[in-house]
Amino acid sequence: MAIFLQFIVGGLFLGGIYTLIALGIVIIYKSTRVFNFAQGWMVTLGAFMLVTLVEKFGVVIGVIGGIAFGALIGIVIERLLMRPLIGQPLIAALLLTIMLAHVIEGINILIWGTFGYEMPVNLPGQSIKFAGVVVSHALLWGIGVAVAAFAAFSLFYWRTLMGRVMRGTAEDHQVAQSLGLPVKGVFSLSWVLAGMLSVIAGLFLGVVSGVHYIMYGSLLGAIAVVLLGGIDSIVGAIVGGMILGVLQSLVTGYLNPALADVIPYIVLLLILIIKPYGLFGLVRIERL
Amino acid sequence: MERPAGIFDVRYEQDMAIVRTGPQWAFLIGFLILLAVLPVFAGSYFLGFMILTGIALIAVQGLNILTGYAGQISLGHQAFVAVGAYTTAVLMDSFHWSFWATVPLAGIAAAAFGVLFGLPSFRLKMLYLAMTTLAAQFIIIAFFNHAFPDYFHAVGGIRVSRPELAGINFKNNEAFYYVVIAIAVIMTIFAKNLVRGRLGRAFVALRDNDLASEVIGINVARYKLYAFAIGCFYAGVAGSLWATYYRSVNPLHFHLDVSIWYLGCLIVGGMGTAVGAVFGVVFLRVIRELVTIISPFLSGLVSPMDAPKIGPALAIISWALVVILFLIFEPRGLAHTWEVLKSRFRHWPFKYSI
Repeated sequence: MAIFLQFIVGGLFLGGIYTLIALGIVIIYKSTRVFNFAQGWMVTLGAFMLVTLVEKFGVVIGVIGGIAFGALIGIVIERLLMRPLIGQPLIAALLLTIMLAHVIEGINILIWGTFGYEMPVNLPGQSIKFAGVVVSHALLWGIGVAVAAFAAFSLFYWRTLMGRVMRGTAEDHQVAQSLGLPVKGVFSLSWVLAGMLSVIAGLFLGVVSGVHYIMYGSLLGAIAVVLLGGIDSIVGAIVGGMILGVLQSLVTGYLNPALADVIPYIVLLLILIIKPYGLFGLVRIERL
Repeated sequence: MERPAGIFDVRYEQDMAIVRTGPQWAFLIGFLILLAVLPVFAGSYFLGFMILTGIALIAVQGLNILTGYAGQISLGHQAFVAVGAYTTAVLMDSFHWSFWATVPLAGIAAAAFGVLFGLPSFRLKMLYLAMTTLAAQFIIIAFFNHAFPDYFHAVGGIRVSRPELAGINFKNNEAFYYVVIAIAVIMTIFAKNLVRGRLGRAFVALRDNDLASEVIGINVARYKLYAFAIGCFYAGVAGSLWATYYRSVNPLHFHLDVSIWYLGCLIVGGMGTAVGAVFGVVFLRVIRELVTIISPFLSGLVSPMDAPKIGPALAIISWALVVILFLIFEPRGLAHTWEVLKSRFRHWPFKYSI
């Protein structure tokens, strides 16, 4: 039983990281209808940048600087790459983010090389043992931050004016523009938020598994999470993340670690066949 | 489509012909002769380049039918190439089949996998369908990596020998070059013709508006599966040649990056044109070769610590950046540029352009 609980706990932590990555994808999709394939790679870039900044300036300034860097990355991507594509088919934007993922991977190799780094951040606190289950403090931090981010974004989208503007923009860009909503500003803001989230996700991913330029496994898994939860649903990101994390952890423990690597894709395939809009996604009816 | 001045079609055959004028025939035949005599004066390295270009071209023509014409984005094309490669490798290794018999079977096996993973396309499209093909990429490769170790040999891979036919041994690149180029040319012509017929028109209608095409009587589900079957058949044939060229197959060869590279070729060349696939593949292959030539020089310029990073980093950045630039500045690809150039040439000195 204790082992089972341990797997669950480990899965929840993995789920927390998935959630943080998935939230970035959902935020961009919600307001711009662009599926950001590169979010996972932005996480890697953010983690690398954190390693460098924290080593140079210490933890506090390093982390703040890292998050600022994430915002900068978001602005740069939006201004240079996404804005010229406004008005083009949405699929062009998807292809662009796929290519962007490769460019970021190349930049990571160019600057930080092909070897792994340790994240030089010690999260405050220590592991606790509860009913035979070791709960690491990194886990609590990870889940805490994921839940906090979830709560913050839910409030933002449903209670603030800017959040409503963003939801309106997501509905139809042209209508939003003709109503006088700052569509371009919304695009910039959502990319900035996603960039900052990617650095935060990078921090936790780095603390747990170190930073390496190949982090595909967990990063692409986030895509499955997004589709499982519903592509435009913030609740979906957290629920989907936890489900997938626990599932993957249990399969690793009880079945076969090799199978666990493809679990996200099997889940992805099944959810798309059974319920294409995900658990909490908005079902859109198409008309001619 | 524009005609050179003074050319008038008086019969339907002329109107439908791909090659219309004398000079076009001359260029086409000249080009084919050039391809045929290339091994006489080209080195083995250049032939290797041509062979890989030919194999990539076959795969990209398939992707072009699937993505460019029928509009079903596939992020897992290399997995279907892997199905073809493994079919050939297993049949030759475990069952001692002849290579020539395995080529069509490789195509059919890949087409079957394509139809299987295309089934979700009944309900899904665009982004969602792209994600199922992404899942296909990982699930198929994991299957080859872990299932049936007696046949697939897991990470160790399978050794494949080059074929023989009528006393000719295809071990050297000169002979194998003809196999690849002949298949590539035939399959390109087939692709070009396929999309001019009923099937191709249905694909284009499907791509442009699937709801409207269903209303006018196209069986959307069936044609989507046709697109998957044909596109993946091409991938399977490419995989068969891939396995024989490298003389081994290994799950690590069939990475997601290659699938995306194929998509990049399509974007650079121009989606939905047969000639675009050729332009795109050649363009990105040339860039790749240029990077392999340049990166040692660049590595010499930086400190020895940084030197090993340059090669792999440039190899990824170069092509991905080129594709991004094309997406932003010329989304219709090189095929469109080519049309513009032809039009400029015809209208010179007037400044007409299409």
